[in-house]
Amino acid sequence: MNKTIETAPKKVIDFFGKRKIFFGISLAIFALGIICNIIFGTQLDIQFTGGAIVKYSYTGAIDEEQLKDVLQNATEQEISFSISKNMIAGEDNSDDNYIVSLQFTGTDSLEFEQQKAITETLTKTFPDNNFEYSESSSVESTMGWKFFLKCIVAVAIACALMVLYVTFRFKKIGGLAAGMMALVALFHDVLVIYFFYVIMRMPLDGNFIAVVLMILGYSLNDTIVIYDRIRENRKILGGRTDLAVLTNISLTQVIRRTLLTSISTLLAVGCVLTVGIIFNLDSVTKFAMPTMVGLISGCYSSIAIATPLWVMWEKRKKSKGKKSA
Amino acid sequence: MKRVSKPVFFIVAILVLALSYFAIFGFTTQYGDIKTTVIKGVNDIRWGIDIKGGVEATFKPAGDVDATDEEMEAAKAVIETRLVSSNITDYELYADSSSDRIIVRFPWKEDEENFDPEKAIEEISATALLTFRPGNSYASTERDANGNLVCKTPTGETEEVLMDGSNVAKAEPVMDTSKGTAEYMVSLTLKDASIFKDITEKYLKKTVSIWMDDIMLSAPTVNDVISNGEATITGDFTAQEATDLANKINAGALPFELETASFGTISPTLGASSLTAMAYAAIAAVIILALLMIIVYRLPGFVASIALIGQVGLMVATISGFFPVFSSFTMTLPGIAGLILSIGMGVDANIITAERIREELRSGKTIDTAIAKGSKSSFSAIFDGNVTVIIVALILLLVFGPSNILSVIFGQSTTGTIYAFGYTLLMGVVANFVMGVFASRLMLKSISGFKIFRKKFLYGGVGK
Repeated sequence: MNKTIETAPKKVIDFFGKRKIFFGISLAIFALGIICNIIFGTQLDIQFTGGAIVKYSYTGAIDEEQLKDVLQNATEQEISFSISKNMIAGEDNSDDNYIVSLQFTGTDSLEFEQQKAITETLTKTFPDNNFEYSESSSVESTMGWKFFLKCIVAVAIACALMVLYVTFRFKKIGGLAAGMMALVALFHDVLVIYFFYVIMRMPLDGNFIAVVLMILGYSLNDTIVIYDRIRENRKILGGRTDLAVLTNISLTQVIRRTLLTSISTLLAVGCVLTVGIIFNLDSVTKFAMPTMVGLISGCYSSIAIATPLWVMWEKRKKSKGKKSA
Repeated sequence: MKRVSKPVFFIVAILVLALSYFAIFGFTTQYGDIKTTVIKGVNDIRWGIDIKGGVEATFKPAGDVDATDEEMEAAKAVIETRLVSSNITDYELYADSSSDRIIVRFPWKEDEENFDPEKAIEEISATALLTFRPGNSYASTERDANGNLVCKTPTGETEEVLMDGSNVAKAEPVMDTSKGTAEYMVSLTLKDASIFKDITEKYLKKTVSIWMDDIMLSAPTVNDVISNGEATITGDFTAQEATDLANKINAGALPFELETASFGTISPTLGASSLTAMAYAAIAAVIILALLMIIVYRLPGFVASIALIGQVGLMVATISGFFPVFSSFTMTLPGIAGLILSIGMGVDANIITAERIREELRSGKTIDTAIAKGSKSSFSAIFDGNVTVIIVALILLLVFGPSNILSVIFGQSTTGTIYAFGYTLLMGVVANFVMGVFASRLMLKSISGFKIFRKKFLYGGVGK
C-alpha cells in the first residue's frame, strides 16, 4: 500500500541538498570568530577572574596627567583608567559630567581601606570637580574561578541530561545520533554567542552564562520540533523512505513554525533592546544583543546543522550495514 | 470531536484576564493614610541589585584563621543583626563555611538619597560588642522585617556594663526534656567564673540583659547564684530562637575580626524611571506578539493572545508573591532571560498548534476534526520541548541554590543571580502548560462552536 502524508506540502524544499552551503556559512563565521579571537583575545569579567574596578563621577575638566599621578601615588598597584561621559547622571544632567573608571591590574581584590584612601585623595586633590564614588566591584580570584567552573559544570550537566532525554524520546529515529547531533548544534550556538562577545569585545560574565543557557533551551526546542516531525512522518511513511526525502518533507512542514517562533521572540527581545538603547541602560543592551544573535543562531543551527548532520550519520550507518551484510 | 460548550470560552477568558489584571496591578485598599496590599502586583516585585543597583560584599576572618562552622554562623548572626538595626530589610545573606566567606547583598533603599555604601559596609562588619547590663531599660523600639520587636539603646541603670563578650567561652542551644516536653534553652560557658558569680550575687532575682551593640538580645532574670561558670538562659524559646540567641552571643565572643574580602556597589542604572521603561518594553512586546499571531493565525491567534496575556500574568504572579505559597522572588537580569525564554516557549506552543490546525484544514478536514487532530499531533513536540527546558531549570536550581548538588566540589554557596533564571524558567514552563496549552485549547474548542466562527478562513484554511 502506498502511504502518504495527508498534510504533505505540495512543494518540498530541498534542505538536505543545500547542506554544504549551510556548513560553509557556519565555518566561515567560525573562521572569522577565531581570527578575531586571536587578535582581540578573550576577555573575562572580573566576576570570574577576580580583580577590581572602581568608578567615580566628577564634573568639569580635569588634567588627566595629574589624575594619573595622583592615582598612582595613592596605591601601589598599577592602575589603568578610562574616562567616559556620564549618561545616567541625576537631575542636574549637565554636559560636563564624567565618569572615570579605574581598573586595577592583577586579579587581587581591592582592600576596602585602599578604596577609601583613593576616594579621600581624589576629593582632596580635586575639590572643584565634585569627585563622587559611583560604583565598584572587587572580586577575589579564588571565588571568581570557583563561580566560573561552577557555571561550566552546570552547563555541561544540563547538556548531558538534555541529550539523554532526546536519546530516550527519539529512540525510533536513532536516538543517540539524534541527541549527539542536537549537541553539535548547541555547541554551534554557544560558539556563535562566544564569538559575538569576542568581536564586540565584551568581557564574559555571569550574563553570558545566562544567555548561553537560554539559547541552549531555545535551540534544543527548535531541534526537537523538527525531530518530532521526522519521527511522526517516519511512522506514517515507514522506515524505507529515503531519509533525505523524509527530512526535506518534515523541514518544509515545520519551517513556517520555526521562522514565526523565532521572529516573535526576536521582536520581543528587540523591544527590550530598543528600550535599552533609548534609555541608555548598558546592562540591558549588553544582555539583549547577544540574546538576539543567539536566537538567530539557535533557529539556524537546528535546521542547517543538527538535522542534516543527523541524516548524514544515519545514511552512513545504513550504507555500512549494507556493506557488511 | 467532543465540542466544548460555548460559555466555556467566556469563563476561561474572563478568569485568565482577571488573574492577569490582579497579578499585574495588584490590589490595595486605602483607609486613611494606611495602604494595605491585599494582592501583590508588579510594583511589589523585588529587583536584584544587578537591575536596581545596590551593595554586595564578602567578608572573611582577618588573618589566616580557619573558622569553625559555628563561628561562621555566629559571624553571620552579627551581620544579620546589624542589617536589621540599620533598617535594611531586603537583604540576602549567606555563610559559606567551606571557604569561610560571608556574602551579603542588598539593594538601594528607595528613599535614601545620600546613602554611603562604604560607611554601611564598615558598620555591618565591625566587631560585635556583646555586653551584659543590669535591668532592661531602653530608649526606643522598632519592628524588624518579621514584625518582631527590637529594643534599642540602653538607658538609665542599663547604661552600666557588667561584663562583655570577652568573658564568654561559648553559647550553645540545648534541649531539655526532663519535664516531659521539649524545652529549648541556651547554655552559656564562661571563662572567668568569679566575675559571673559576683554579678549573679548582686543581681539575684533581678534582670540582667544581654546586648549586642545597641540592641537588646535577651533580658533574663537571675534565678540562682552561678559560681561554676555554667549558666543557662531559659525562656519560651523555640528551637530556632534558642539557636539564634546562641549564635548572637557567640558572635560577641568571636576570636577573629571580620575583614571585607570583596566589595562592590552597582549604581542604580535602572532606577524607578527605567523600570517604567522596561514595563513599556514588555507591553510593546506583548502587543507586537499578539498582533503577529492574530494576523498570521486569525482566530487561533486571537485565542493565543489571551493565553499570552494570561501567561505573563501568571509569571508575574509567581515572582511578586501573589500566591501566598510562593514568597516574593528577587528578580535579576538572568531572571528576565528566563522570563523571555518561557514566554517564547508559550508563544511557540500556540504557533505549533495553530500551524498544525492550518495544515489539517488545507488537507481538506472539517474545522472540528482539524482542531482535534492539530491539538493532538502537536502535543508531543510541545511536551518534549518543555521537558528539556524543565531539565535545564532544575539543574540551575539545584546547582545555584543555597544547598546544592555540587557542594561536594565547590562548597556551599550563594544563590547567585543565575538561580533566578532557573526559577523563572521552571515557573514559566508551568505557566506554559496552564495557559499556552490547557486554557488556550479549551478556549479554541469552545469558540469554534459559534456559528459566526465556523469559517475555515478564520483558522488559516483556504477561503470558501
